[in-house]
Amino acid sequence: MPDDVTEGQAERTAAEKQAVAAKPAATDAKPAAEAKPAATDAKPVAEAKPAAEAKPAAAKPAKAAPPPDPRVVAATAVAEQIKASLERALGPGVVDETGAFKDVPQLVIASGKWLAAARFLRDEPEHAYTYVELFAGTDYKDKGYIEVALYVQSVANNRFINLKVRTPRDDAKLDSLTGLFPGVNWEEREVYDLLGVVFTGHPDLRRIMMWEGWNGYPLRKDYSPFENIPVKGGNGS
Amino acid sequence: MELRPDLTLPVIEYEGLSAEESADLRKAGIVLAPLEQIKGWARSNSLWPLSFGLACCAIEMMATGASHYDLDRFGIIFRASPRQSDVMIVAGTVTKKMGPLLKRLYDQMAEPKWVVAMGSCATAGGPYVRSYSVVKGVDQIVPVDVYIPGCPPSPPALIYGLNKLQEKIRIEAAGKKVPV
Amino acid sequence: MCALRSEEMILNVGPQHPSTHGVFRLVVTIDGEQIVDADPVVGYLHRGTEKLAEDLQYVQIIPYTDRLDYVASMLNNYALCHTVEYALDLEVPARAEYLRIIVMELQRVASHLLFLGTYLLDLGAMSPFLYAFQEREQIIMLFNEICGARLTYNYMRVGGVQWDAPPGWIEKVRDFTAQMQKKVPMYHQLVTGNEIFLNRVRGIGVISQEDGIAYAMSGINLRSTGFNWDLRKNRPYSIYDQFEWAVPVGKNGDCFDRYFIHLQEIEQSLNIVAQAVERVPDGPIIGKVPKLVRVPAGEYYRGIEGARGELGVYLVSDGKDKPYRLKLRRPSFVNLQILRKLLIGQSMANLIAILGAVDIVLGEVDA
Repeated sequence: MPDDVTEGQAERTAAEKQAVAAKPAATDAKPAAEAKPAATDAKPVAEAKPAAEAKPAAAKPAKAAPPPDPRVVAATAVAEQIKASLERALGPGVVDETGAFKDVPQLVIASGKWLAAARFLRDEPEHAYTYVELFAGTDYKDKGYIEVALYVQSVANNRFINLKVRTPRDDAKLDSLTGLFPGVNWEEREVYDLLGVVFTGHPDLRRIMMWEGWNGYPLRKDYSPFENIPVKGGNGS
Repeated sequence: MELRPDLTLPVIEYEGLSAEESADLRKAGIVLAPLEQIKGWARSNSLWPLSFGLACCAIEMMATGASHYDLDRFGIIFRASPRQSDVMIVAGTVTKKMGPLLKRLYDQMAEPKWVVAMGSCATAGGPYVRSYSVVKGVDQIVPVDVYIPGCPPSPPALIYGLNKLQEKIRIEAAGKKVPV
Repeated sequence: MCALRSEEMILNVGPQHPSTHGVFRLVVTIDGEQIVDADPVVGYLHRGTEKLAEDLQYVQIIPYTDRLDYVASMLNNYALCHTVEYALDLEVPARAEYLRIIVMELQRVASHLLFLGTYLLDLGAMSPFLYAFQEREQIIMLFNEICGARLTYNYMRVGGVQWDAPPGWIEKVRDFTAQMQKKVPMYHQLVTGNEIFLNRVRGIGVISQEDGIAYAMSGINLRSTGFNWDLRKNRPYSIYDQFEWAVPVGKNGDCFDRYFIHLQEIEQSLNIVAQAVERVPDGPIIGKVPKLVRVPAGEYYRGIEGARGELGVYLVSDGKDKPYRLKLRRPSFVNLQILRKLLIGQSMANLIAILGAVDIVLGEVDA
């Protein structure tokens, strides 16, 4: 039984198909702890499904006819719930987009409400997203923005979401979350150093990996080591 | 009691001395050699490296110094200060941020001094040769005597490289050129 | 006010310092013996792995992960392979999972042994270093036999492992585990009860539970505060749920707890290995994976419990055979942020004790 499952997997990946859901056996064979709690959550909100189906399709243009992954559907429903809760508290327009990848719900927050949304999700006991797991920046050169992803874990509710925010490449500026989570201090410095996002309100925004006087932001897609020659050498102090 | 032949001193006949004079020197336990060669012999057997661990190679360097491989038996004892050391083992990737500091540490070492580039990063940039922040070989900053290949070189490789350095010190003390 | 007045002085520790475990620099402002301020400076080993990875295929990135946390390479290998497998929904054959578990847990033991040796060396005890390296060398030899490298293994692949265990290897691991399990009490006798050691580490560098969570700490640093958070239990991956083992948790969050949990984790890891070697199944060691791995477009994040904390890989793919962006969540980097807070107010002599107990590897801090 496991043999033909993997074979099927290999064929699909070779054909660059995303259709994870086409094999329910594969998801069943996974360790139960991953998908199950989210799936049971999703059952009562069956009416949210049509909306949920449209969203991941927008996020993943390559996706064609096959039915959506149940994990994605469940996670998108969770994202929708959080969106509703955020909009009740902070007014409409807080969340630009909702979606999910695999079992992780994902919300794109409007860049002006970044700090407020993170604070709300941290402090509200219903959410209690207190533990930061990942803080990462990605440069989308073609789309013209830099995206910062924040994976936060709610230890109390055992939930895990991905918050995102986008900022234009040529004027990359965001509110710093250091006041909420001291643990993103260096991560923000790293994003500033390597991607050039300025975090307003950061207590100590200096370059962390490269030295002051380094020219350019290495992780940007248009960075070239031959054009960005540092203006002065390493800090020999 | 008869001395075992393998424990007796080698018979050295010095040029310009008679056989009796050579035998007298032997009996007294005196070896004649140019001062430079004696200094080279002494230096090569008490190489004190600067413990200059930069990256992965430093772990192998530590392993070489620890119980299993035991570098101490070659008279090689790690020192924490550049002022006390004779050889700098550059163990790991040298970044552009670290480069000036490496130069400074090298300048702080007292003459005579040698540099061993341990691993492919220190030799030529290694797997990080295409990185924006890595110096492509430590020989761009300081002169290198021995290059040890490997990523990271195993402790036997490091010991071999240090033995080669000892050889080089002795050969150079004799005024010869090291065959490349 | 005291009639005697002292002046502040700036002391630069590193980047070349025997106790900073690599090229880490700490600029401390001291007033007499008291630390007033500390400014950690990192980046002396920043090699741009994340940028390099954007130009490499997934299999080609695996050797680069070896060189991040270079004392726990197997775990780094696994973090990347696991994320790609998660993105592809790949099934890993049972034998490969068992081999992975064995090498990962042995790697954890080796990494913790290195911590023990170097930490006590920093505190002025030479012999534990020699003992720890002796045991570690045996694990390295086992790894050398299975994958031909001593430090940078490049052993795991997407969908399995590269090499099968050579004949007799499993028995050797079994022998080593039994022998090592007997050795652990020796470490307790050698170090744990030592009065001088206890005075240097008890009640020093205390992390509270709230701080631990707020500073996003993970691994032993977080568990030492009494917070039970181990991704092997809390978000199970691989086949960890098939073994019986416990998560050691501290009470006070001080340096002693961190040292003690390291030793306890060695015992638990050996426990897992001992169970795993008894039931390694036969079968293939790598699943049916396409020659050129293409990850479907999307974003994937998976964290595993590394030797130093949550080791995560964040993968943004645009459907090609190379990642669009690869971000590595390096536990040492995140854990180190609390250092400034821990140091302020301490005396200078405690600096090395605190820094050593946070257990960093600079290759991972700087990436």
